[in-house]
Amino acid sequence: MRTVSRSGVALTVVIVAGLAAFPFVFQANWVVNIAVFTMMYAGLATAWNLLGGYSGYISLCNAAFFGVGAYAIANLFPTSGGPPGSTPFLILPLLGLGAAILSIPIGWVAFRTRGVTFAIVTISLLFVAQTLAFLMRSFTRGSQGMGIGVPRFSVATYERPFYLALLAIFVFAVSVCWYVRRAKLGLTLFAIRDDEDRARGLGVDTEIAKLVTFAMSLGITAMIGGVWAYYITYIYPQFAVDPLITIGMVLMVFLGGKGTLWGPLLGALLLVPAQRLLAQNASTARWYLILYSGVFLLVILLLPRGIIPSVQDLIARLRSKSDRDTSPPAATVPTVRTEVVP
Amino acid sequence: MSAQTLLEVDGLSKRFGGVAAVSGATFSVDTGTITGLIGPNGSGKTTVFNLITGYLKADAGTVRFEGERVRRANPRRLYRRGLSRTFQQARVFPEMTLVENLVVAVAVPVWALGRRGISRADAARAEELLDRFGLGSHAHRKAGELSFGQRKLLEFATVLLGRPRLVLLDEPASGVNPLMIEQMERHIRDVHAEGVTFLVVEHDMNLVMRLCDPIVVLDHGAKIAEGHPADVRADPAVLDAYLGD
Amino acid sequence: MRLFVQAVILGLLAGGVYALMASGLTLAFGIMRVINVAQGVMIILGAYVSYTLFTHFGVDPFLSVLFVVPVVFVLGVVIELVFIRPLRPSEREELSLLVTWAVALGIEGVLGLVYSTTYRSTIPSYANAAWRIGGFAVLQVQVYAFGLSVVILAVLGVVLAKTRFGRAVRGTVQNPASAALLGVDERKVAAIGFGLSVATAAAAGAVYGVVTPFNPGSHYDLISLLLTIIVLGGMGSLPGTVVAAVLMGVSQALLATYISPTSAKLTFFILLIGILVVRPQGLFGAVERGKL
Repeated sequence: MRTVSRSGVALTVVIVAGLAAFPFVFQANWVVNIAVFTMMYAGLATAWNLLGGYSGYISLCNAAFFGVGAYAIANLFPTSGGPPGSTPFLILPLLGLGAAILSIPIGWVAFRTRGVTFAIVTISLLFVAQTLAFLMRSFTRGSQGMGIGVPRFSVATYERPFYLALLAIFVFAVSVCWYVRRAKLGLTLFAIRDDEDRARGLGVDTEIAKLVTFAMSLGITAMIGGVWAYYITYIYPQFAVDPLITIGMVLMVFLGGKGTLWGPLLGALLLVPAQRLLAQNASTARWYLILYSGVFLLVILLLPRGIIPSVQDLIARLRSKSDRDTSPPAATVPTVRTEVVP
Repeated sequence: MSAQTLLEVDGLSKRFGGVAAVSGATFSVDTGTITGLIGPNGSGKTTVFNLITGYLKADAGTVRFEGERVRRANPRRLYRRGLSRTFQQARVFPEMTLVENLVVAVAVPVWALGRRGISRADAARAEELLDRFGLGSHAHRKAGELSFGQRKLLEFATVLLGRPRLVLLDEPASGVNPLMIEQMERHIRDVHAEGVTFLVVEHDMNLVMRLCDPIVVLDHGAKIAEGHPADVRADPAVLDAYLGD
Repeated sequence: MRLFVQAVILGLLAGGVYALMASGLTLAFGIMRVINVAQGVMIILGAYVSYTLFTHFGVDPFLSVLFVVPVVFVLGVVIELVFIRPLRPSEREELSLLVTWAVALGIEGVLGLVYSTTYRSTIPSYANAAWRIGGFAVLQVQVYAFGLSVVILAVLGVVLAKTRFGRAVRGTVQNPASAALLGVDERKVAAIGFGLSVATAAAAGAVYGVVTPFNPGSHYDLISLLLTIIVLGGMGSLPGTVVAAVLMGVSQALLATYISPTSAKLTFFILLIGILVVRPQGLFGAVERGKL
């Protein structure tokens, strides 16, 4: 049942408190640097899950909106403007809103297709965005890249504000997911996932629901792109609009569990630290793509439903088994598959 | 057009590639009837349903519902106007609970999408309906766990939440056991008694002859007979269609 | 007018090669409902193999097709058996896209290890030779590549139309269930079909390196183009794919001539949006009947 359970609240409090305390407990810059990227992907994956996990529509253009957010911040706070301090964090909500509005006409076209064609159309959008990032020189300065004003945060805790900003966005994303799941919108998305044609036949506003969710998901993605750009302070088209970012978030959602609240976070926690360590070490960086692909293949082939749903299933099975073992045989009259209804 | 005509189908046609699935089907459904739509396999019955409800676009022909012509048929809008349907394969939302399956069919305006998914009133109404269809004890199970027959009942119950004037039933009795057929028949009669009109496609002739009046017979996508069950049964054209070729 | 004709000629030549590259995608989707994102990397793989054969052993790129095709065919069969077959049919369409994307990343990684990310080009003696016909200049390599594509497509067409295997493939495309009832071994058709679909791409790849410089990351440029072509063509229609590919080649050449070469990179996007707004099912696609 989708009501507020006490254990759910407790779990949320523990997770959020633990994540918030992390950079204060582990202060080494390289550790918090990894934590920044982990939180970034946790947010991206959670945003992807909102549409991909709930409605089943596999959108692969999210990295394009990551880039939109990154370039928006780069244009608003150029190197020449001096250190922008915390202003970029404060305008993130507006940035998210702008990106969400931008996504609506794009979604309107993309949602004319379904299933695998939708996925293909959104891949095309991703590549177009990358090409545009190279071509629209007045907005992106093309392949020479673009600098952002460097903040004057204290060196010892330099990563901390970025981490906390990304944590805030992640918490916002999880809250949106939680709210949507309980709302009419969530029911609508689940119905779309299960059988969209039938949902239409039951008067469900599938078009609006898909568009609204697409916009929310991409708005959050753009906000995260903005923080990323500010953090790394110099951006290039091939990294701001990177297919690997899209594939990364999808992979984390699949690993943690599609359509679950905390699955994307779990996926990010498991994968991003390993990914960062690999990429930073020159001798392993050459194997990066190969290992990435290997992990992806293993997850999809061995654990296609993700960790959380598989564990839940296991627990349910163990429970029903122990029930059966302890109750007398007379009580095991099948209740599910009977045709006879009183 | 008589005053109590609820649905009027005129010259409806649809081709798939070179094959005519429906060619000039013309018939009407009067308010308050349980009209049967029968015909041998491949005679275009399900296609007619898909055309009426807007799942397919007709090549030619018109459909009128409550006297108004349906332009650019769209399943969502038709449902909200009071025309809903079930599917042959008993389509439910398998990963959603029975209650959720029902509540999703409660028509809400777009701006209410942010409201609570299952309000108390929704839940009460859903559970009442589930009890009526004998599914109350499964209310919080996933619909995918139900038997085929139970799914048919759930699907039928679901469309009632739209407060329909006309329900199109696509083979309500196929693939279910005789006991379940009896139940289904009882539920159809109950709902009918409450003022809902039905158009039923069904292969179980005993059920059709008991339940439906009048009956429309299709063959090769066109109407070949129409009338009371006894007349239709005696019609040589109908016998030909079923026994011939 | 001269410019226009020149552009159309170039576009037709390029479109013919695109048709060969994309027809494999259509075949795989038609038979198995699999979207093969690794199609682009297979082309690049073909280009590298051909490049190596040329630089080390002096084998002509057009001759190396004879080597590339069987090698990549086997690789394709292995990919089908190991990565695609285990997917559950109900999720195959969407998951295949992600799985083959992962395969593409892996192959890209291997190519990066072996060849580094430097751009390469296969340059045989005739690489820059051109014919002048009625004042229009045409690179010989492009004509050969076009010719090769037409030949391979024709062979593919004959195989599908005349052989037992072809009948099995067509049966599976139209109705997998009844094909299985008629004794078609769906699993065999899938493995061979997938092998064929990537081998045709690699054949195009063997000569791709002569026309265009490439590096391991180039497969992204190709796959975005090819995926758009199969959507335009209507997902699973071979004639649709060929028409869409030619349309793509010609409009790219026209945009490059009249606006700018860089804007030609966006051609596929403009075409895609245009088609989706007017005709979401693609140029040749029928409204899916089975979907209901």
